[in-house]
Formats: sequence, C-alpha cells, structure tokens
Amino acid sequence: MSAYDAIEGGKSAARPETSGWLARAIHRNGAGYLFLAPWLIGFFCLTLGPALVSLYLSFTDFDLLTSPEFVGAQNYVRMVTADAKFAAAIRVTLVYVALSVPLKLAFALAIAMVLNRGMRALPAYRAIFYLPSLLGTSVAIAVLWRQLFAADGFVNSLLATVGIEGPSWISNPNYSLYTLVVLSVWQFGSPMIIFLAGLRQIPADMYEAASLDGASSRRQFLRITLPLLSPVIFFNVVIQTIEAFKAFTPAFIISGGSGGPINSTLFYTLYLYQEAFSYFRMGYASALAWVLVIIIAIFTAFSFLTTKYWVHYDD
Amino acid sequence: MTDAVNDMPGRGSAYPRLNSTLRHALLIAVCIVMIYPILWMLSGSLRPASELFGGEAGLIPSQVTLSAYPDGWFGLQVTFGRFFANSLIISVLATIGNVLAASLVAYAFARLRFAGQNFWFALMLGTLMLPYHVTLIPQYVLFRELGWVNTWLPLIVPKYFAVDAFFIFLMVQFFRGIPRELDEAARMDGCSAWRIYRKIILPLSMPVLATAAIFSFIWTWEDFFGPLIYISEMENYTVQLGLRSFIDSSGTSSWNELFAMSILSLVPIFLIFLFFQRLLIEGIATTGMKR
Repeated sequence: MSAYDAIEGGKSAARPETSGWLARAIHRNGAGYLFLAPWLIGFFCLTLGPALVSLYLSFTDFDLLTSPEFVGAQNYVRMVTADAKFAAAIRVTLVYVALSVPLKLAFALAIAMVLNRGMRALPAYRAIFYLPSLLGTSVAIAVLWRQLFAADGFVNSLLATVGIEGPSWISNPNYSLYTLVVLSVWQFGSPMIIFLAGLRQIPADMYEAASLDGASSRRQFLRITLPLLSPVIFFNVVIQTIEAFKAFTPAFIISGGSGGPINSTLFYTLYLYQEAFSYFRMGYASALAWVLVIIIAIFTAFSFLTTKYWVHYDD
Repeated sequence: MTDAVNDMPGRGSAYPRLNSTLRHALLIAVCIVMIYPILWMLSGSLRPASELFGGEAGLIPSQVTLSAYPDGWFGLQVTFGRFFANSLIISVLATIGNVLAASLVAYAFARLRFAGQNFWFALMLGTLMLPYHVTLIPQYVLFRELGWVNTWLPLIVPKYFAVDAFFIFLMVQFFRGIPRELDEAARMDGCSAWRIYRKIILPLSMPVLATAAIFSFIWTWEDFFGPLIYISEMENYTVQLGLRSFIDSSGTSSWNELFAMSILSLVPIFLIFLFFQRLLIEGIATTGMKR
C-alpha cells in the first residue's frame, strides 16, 4: 500500500487503522520523510549542529587538542579593539568587493547588451566569454595570474615593448590587490549569461515604440533597459557580492598562503584559514566565521531594503 | 531555443546602429583579451625553461619542446598521475552523491506532501545563503573524531546528505515543471512513490540531472579549500593540491613544468565545456548559478 492513498484525505479514514494517530501520521507522511531523510540528516549533523557548535566555540579558547575554555565575548572584543590583522582583512575584503563586483557587473552588462542585438555568432562569443568563469577558481588560473603579473611576467614584458618598466605587481602591496580585482573582472561570463537571459525578456516592441516617439538611446537605456532588467541586476549584485566575500583560492595561491605582501591580499577567508589551521585558534576563527555571516546578512538585508527604490517587478 | 529569436536581425535595434563590422571587431578584441592568457600559458608549457624565464609576451615559442610535460608529471615525489586519479575518484563519487541525494530530496519537496513541508523547504533555502565557514570548524572536529582526516571521506560523504542545497533547488524547479498528470495516473495504477521517482521523474529529468552532475563534477574538481584542510599526505593529494606543492617546490626555474601541469589540470573542465556547453549555459541562465 502506498503512502499516496493517504494524501487523498478521506480514504485513509475508511481503512481500519492499527493504532491511533501515530500510525496515521506515519502513513500520511512516511514517504515524504523517507525521501527527505538524506537532507534532514545532513541538515542536523552537518549544518545546523555544527553551526550551533561554532557559535558556542566563538565564545571560547579552543586549540583542537584541549577542550574549549569559555571566555565570554573576549574573541569579539579582541577582534575589534586589538587585532590589526583583522582590520587589514576587513579593509582588503571590502575594497575587493567594492571594486570587483561593480566592475565585473558593468562589464558583464555592457557585453551582454552588445551581444543581445541580433548577433550572428552569438553562441560562439558567449562560449568564449564564459570559459574563464568556468575555469575560475582553479589553482591553475591563480598560477597563471601569478606569472602574468610577476616582475618578469607577461604584463611587464608587454609594457617593456612600449618602453615602460612595470613594477612587480604581485609583490608590491600597492598593486597586488588590484591584480586580484582584474582576475575577478576577467570572469564576468556567468553574470553576463544571466544578463543575456534577462535582456531577452524585454519585448523588442518597447524599444520600437520608444524610437518612434523619438527617445534617444541613452534615454531608452535609462527608462526601459535598466528598470526592466533591475530584478536581474539585483540578483547578480547579491550573488556576486556574497561570492566576493568568500573568495579564497586566488589570494592564497598568489600570496603563497600569507596574504602578503604586508597583508595587502589578506582576504577575510584567508585570515580565517590562517587562524584556524595555521595557528589552531579555533575559537577565534569561529568568531571570525560568525562575523562574516553577520556582514553578509547585513549586506543582504540592506540590499533587500533598497529594492523598493530601484528594483521594478512589474506584475 | 531562444537563440533563434535572438539571431533575428533588428532585435532591440533601438540603439543607434553600431556598424556591425565594428561591433564584431570589438567583440573579437575582447575575446582575444579573454583567451590570450590561457593560450599564453599553453605556449609557455611548450617552451624550454630558459626561454620563459625572460617573460615572453608572444605566443610562438622559438623552440617547441614537450619535455615540460613529462618533467612536470614526475616532478614531485608522487606523480601527477596519482593526483589525477585521486581527483577523478573524488569528483565522480561526490557527483554521484550530489545527484542522488539532491534528486531524492527535490522529489520530496516537488512532488510529495507531508507535514512541515514548507517549513523544511524554507530552511533548505536558508542554507543556500549560509557561508560554509560557519560549519567549517565543528565539521573538522567531527571528521577528526571519526578518524577521517587525511582521507577523502570528508570531501565525499557530505554530498550523500545533500549538503549543497543549490542542487536541490535546481532540481525542485525542474521537477515542478513535469506534468502532474503523469504521476497521478501512475498513482492510480498503484505505483509507489519510489516507483514514480524511478520510472517517471528521473527519466524525464535527464537535462537537469546532467546539469547538476556537470557542475558538481567541475566544482569538486576545482575545489581547493576542502582538500587543503583535510588532506595532508601527498599520496592522497588532488590535482589542485599537487599544483600548489609544485609552486612551493619548484623555484622560478621550472615555470614551464608548472604551466604544463596547470594546463593538464584544466583539460577535464575544458572537455566538459566543449561537449556540454549548452547545458552549462542553460543551467546558469535559468537558475543564476554563481559561476
């Protein structure tokens, strides 16, 4: 007998049940919970449980070998008052997010708009633009970047041909972070594909009508494209920002795990990694993780609050 | 697909018509900038070490040699063959886990009815936004207690519990689009939920299962953080960890070998891209996949 019979409501009442509500509840919900079981186990054992434990650990000193020692809010206090590296990590990460996300999305949107206008070879272009974002977080790409911007790397030999002697981009704290921003912008392919999908939803006759009324292309962009695309823009901003906050591999490989030179590429997640797995300050690292959650939550909440001013959902 | 519509001339033509040749020239220029670094790495892997060291911007090596490939392959005390085999095993097992678990759970959410369904669904969506860093340390402690550190289990087993809610979400969206009449008819004929899942939902969902499998494979293949934390012995390294060791062990003198191994590490992803490009692009366009 199938659990489905129960879904039909009345039927199960007609069948003589062995015992009371429990059997009925199992009969009615059993199939659903059986299929849900892998996720439920994972959710409690690998997500919710660990998250609560890490919240507790964030109020302790814990070195993995001896049991955690409760220290109150000390980790959080130290973070904001006495940890220069934390401040550096926050600064580096915010600069990275603030530069890479808008640049990447502006580029993605510009290319998507050029591509959207009745292109013959659209699939070919789209594929090529997408490739870098697929290869994206591989160590190989970080290796490549390291050599592109090395003192004797590709960029400098290109500059040398026009007589400019370039600095060592990755080992100069003034430039190192920007090489990572360039890497992120290079991977504009996936937001571009999302923009393309969004642009296709805008009816062509809106532009035709606007043209007939003599609206300039700038005006059409501001009054038609941007408002109608705003939900997609919003989506891309939120997703890309969260991803940027979580960036790790390129900074790790390019700086050799140090976040240097002089903490200039000390991404937040890299700092968290160092605290947890180089110094085994697991309590402090847990506190760092929760601060990251808070930062992302504040950013997301703030984005949602602003939607009513700029995101247009028509129907 | 919608490509047909998009290829019609004049679509969205309200913008001042940029000369079509000019537009192609611009796009081709951008393409070259995008692809050049990868080609440069490929050409670097074919150069003798002495030549690359000078930093050569051109693509044509003065002398082509394949020696960097075998030299790099055997450049560490464990060969890259081992790393590739390890990565392949981990990625395949993780992919099976992801697809299997996510499809079961997505079926429950999309097709079955049970008490608390909406509550669990909301929680599942909530975990999409949660950075993995919050669960990182307790998970590490847990796996350490289980004796799983320096094994592949922490990289594989969680996938069988559908921890990546993204795949569940992807499949729920797809399953909801399958006509309900099909499973209602099957149910009338006395099919169990399991049979409906096996005989109706799965066969009709090949595109989404393939998309999930492809992304799952690529993400596991490219994953660096997980192996970095859990794998300590070189015998068990993945390709990504192998590359990282290669950077540390080789000075600037063997960049060509490092490039050769880097190129090889990208080959599986590149092949998937060649053959399944359409699924990848549709997957991103419809769900807004992050990369």
